[in-house]
Amino acid sequence: MKDLLVKINNVATEKFGAQYAEARAQNLYKTMLTIKEERVEAAKQGIENGVALRVLVNGAWGFASVGSFESGILEGAISDACRMAKLASTGLKMPIKLALAKVVNDRVVSRPKKNPSDISVEDKIKTAMAVTKTGLGFDDRVKSCTMDYLDLTGTSFFVNSDGTSIEQDKLYVWGRLTASAVSGGVFTFSREEIGSTAGYELFDEQIPEKLGEKVAKRAVDQLNAKSLKGGKFPVVLGPNVVGVFVHEAFGHLAEADLALSGGVLAGNFGKKIGSDLVTFYDDGTIEGSFGAFRYDDEGVASNKTLLIKDGVVAGLMHNRETAQKFNAEPTGNARAEDFRVEPIIRMRCTYMAPRDQTFEELVEKVKSGYYFKSFRGGQANLDGTFQVGIQEGFEIVNGEVGPPIRDASISGNTLETLHKVDAVGKDFLIDPGRCGKGQTAFICDGGPHIRLSEVVVGGSA
Amino acid sequence: MVVLEKNVMLSLAENAVKAALQKGAQEAEAYVYEGQATNIGIELGQISKTHRIIDRGVGIRVVVNKTIGFSYTNIIDDGKAVEFMVNSALSAAKASKSDPNWKGLPQKKPFATIEKTFDEKVAALGSEELVNVASTMLEAAEEVDKRVFPVDGGVGSAYISSAITNSNGITGFDKGTIVECSLATLAKEEGAVTPVCFEFNTARTYNLDPVWVGKEAAKLSISALKTKSVETKSTTVILTQFALQELLAYTLINAIEADNVQRDQSPFKGKMGATVTSEKLTIHDDGLLSGGLRTWLFDGEGVPHQKTAVIERGVLRNYLYDNYSAKKEAKESTGNASRSGYLSTPSIDTTNFHILPGNTTANQMLNEVDDGLIVYYLQGAHSSNPVSGEFSVVATPAWKIEKGEITHSSRGVMLAGNIFEVLKNISLVGSNERQMGSLIAPWVQAENVRVIGK
Repeated sequence: MKDLLVKINNVATEKFGAQYAEARAQNLYKTMLTIKEERVEAAKQGIENGVALRVLVNGAWGFASVGSFESGILEGAISDACRMAKLASTGLKMPIKLALAKVVNDRVVSRPKKNPSDISVEDKIKTAMAVTKTGLGFDDRVKSCTMDYLDLTGTSFFVNSDGTSIEQDKLYVWGRLTASAVSGGVFTFSREEIGSTAGYELFDEQIPEKLGEKVAKRAVDQLNAKSLKGGKFPVVLGPNVVGVFVHEAFGHLAEADLALSGGVLAGNFGKKIGSDLVTFYDDGTIEGSFGAFRYDDEGVASNKTLLIKDGVVAGLMHNRETAQKFNAEPTGNARAEDFRVEPIIRMRCTYMAPRDQTFEELVEKVKSGYYFKSFRGGQANLDGTFQVGIQEGFEIVNGEVGPPIRDASISGNTLETLHKVDAVGKDFLIDPGRCGKGQTAFICDGGPHIRLSEVVVGGSA
Repeated sequence: MVVLEKNVMLSLAENAVKAALQKGAQEAEAYVYEGQATNIGIELGQISKTHRIIDRGVGIRVVVNKTIGFSYTNIIDDGKAVEFMVNSALSAAKASKSDPNWKGLPQKKPFATIEKTFDEKVAALGSEELVNVASTMLEAAEEVDKRVFPVDGGVGSAYISSAITNSNGITGFDKGTIVECSLATLAKEEGAVTPVCFEFNTARTYNLDPVWVGKEAAKLSISALKTKSVETKSTTVILTQFALQELLAYTLINAIEADNVQRDQSPFKGKMGATVTSEKLTIHDDGLLSGGLRTWLFDGEGVPHQKTAVIERGVLRNYLYDNYSAKKEAKESTGNASRSGYLSTPSIDTTNFHILPGNTTANQMLNEVDDGLIVYYLQGAHSSNPVSGEFSVVATPAWKIEKGEITHSSRGVMLAGNIFEVLKNISLVGSNERQMGSLIAPWVQAENVRVIGK
């Protein structure tokens, strides 16, 4: 495979004068299940083969993707990419350049304790079914339970014109459970995702029955929850919400492509934009975590990137293009969902560093506010507006966690809100998730419990 | 452009079905897909990248003793890979659990005629032309105001074709084109940055106005510069198509899908024939709409596309069905089985979800508002409760309307409520319809929407 990809890259550099060329060939195997209640909607297995080709010609990118390993087809595709890049380059004001990256020759082998490829489809169905059965059986009011399961295994070959050549195994195991409950005209919904890059041993930690029970219980508890009053309130956020808050309220703005696009972090490098308690990392090196990998899709080693330290902006997440513009090192954040798409800057595992407070200490100072325990969705905007939806929350009355509330969200502007972090817990949890930025990336995020002295809460009451 | 011919795609599908039946499947269905897309990308104010993506593959669904197995591959020129796929589907089915509600794959029915879904000109568009359109759009935006910065955008064309065959004799082939241009801009002034404002054209036939797209995106971002807070209260809100699309996709659309109704996940269960929205609303799911972005001859199971009345003057008339959910109720599929290419099994989705226009022009609608907001872009709609319809989202931004005039934008304004209550409080439906993804709709005006100011 390496020889083929070297040959294809040479077409770009020798025949079309490309400054840079890379080829990423992948063969991917997937097993997917959707279980609705006790019905297997379909057991699915698939194979994909394909190559992503990317060239830099006269400072413009050309990208081509084809589902084939055939030399002639690949030569045609890379020639097209070079011609199109040349055409696009005619109006360039700022030609694209790349930061230097270490030349790597490596083979990365995944060593799962339980390889999903060795587990039978029967066993996978049994596991997924155990989740939905427990969920449904938890309470009569639980009406539906859907478990989606995916495992992905395969190999990614990466070769570029700098001389880097990497053969890297890919392994993901992922599941999502959703449950709904109905009673007296009230509808509730609860969801949870699990994921790992370690192996099928994920289900030794995430016991299927416990997962089913947890999600079903949340849906049932929500039946008694009240809509909340909107407005500005002090809030305590659980690690699951903090993770998404870090991801949406800061993470996206620290993606260097979005910072360059005019995002609010661009002018704030080295400046204090949050309270002393705010320290965030994006870390691709946490072994087995859903956002972990050894090399990114530009062949750059994944690292642990400090984004903000004690409230001061310390770093951004880079690919080779943005690293060159910022005169920084590439951080290994260039990721592509598969061979159909180009690598773009994506988060890995983004989290807030813990401090010293207990949960009780965080809550006891809140007279009237909310404890938001678990999230449902979130979104960021370049101007610093963030939103995080809440699927599980409680009132806080006079320093104590009170009755449940439903379907809230928090929003604010990053540059204001990070100053409102006034206490940070000493616990720490990471959850897996997926992030959409045109492509889907497997990520994780988390942190400790924290308190915000004030944030806008969207509620309808 | 070299594309897979109709007969090649059909014989690939037929051979896969035949192989599956020979190897022991009682029923089988094969779906072959090809997509070829060319895109010129704008990033950081300049045209700097190009994409050319060719994606082809085949997926097969097999039924063995009422268990369903599915497999796919994108290695289609190798007979062994296709055989491997058939075997994988059969082994998946055998590993699975039988479904007593399975009543068979769909039967053959004649397709209706559709129009304006394929344009030779779009299929033949060259990169030069796409680059020219992108330059025109970019210049139009930059000419509006120096404070405008085009962040992201592009011009693209795509050719899509699909073929389907099943063991009940269904056989179909369809091809279509899509062309689009889009631009996202923000405005910067003295360190202040606006949220991203966005405009686009998408069409099945060559019908782009890049100057309009560039100018509108730029004008919107400039108008977002002047910002003032608004108060927390319940007020009149004009929802543009952008906002409607976001809000409905995660709520109303779920409620009308038969699978969700059957599984007690829809507040519309048991409401057939009842008034569920304002009588101003009539909604059709129209898979045959002329030039519609989701207009095709057949759905992901080879069932003919059709027009289905979902809501008529506020009264719930139909849910949307695929073959499985329809047979569960001894009904006919409404042709709403959707697939994402060859990689997935069919699942229920809207085709062209058409909120029929009223006769109020956009200007008349604005003039009617004494005190309210107009909302384009929403953030966080996907965090809505997909079952109950409760939402809590941010408008990025909202524009304030005073005495019929748009006066200023406001950042960080949250809207919260229940979409089904909002739909009951629709007071006006505009005449200015346009299509956005699956939704084709005009502006609508809703009363009494809860707004949380900063």
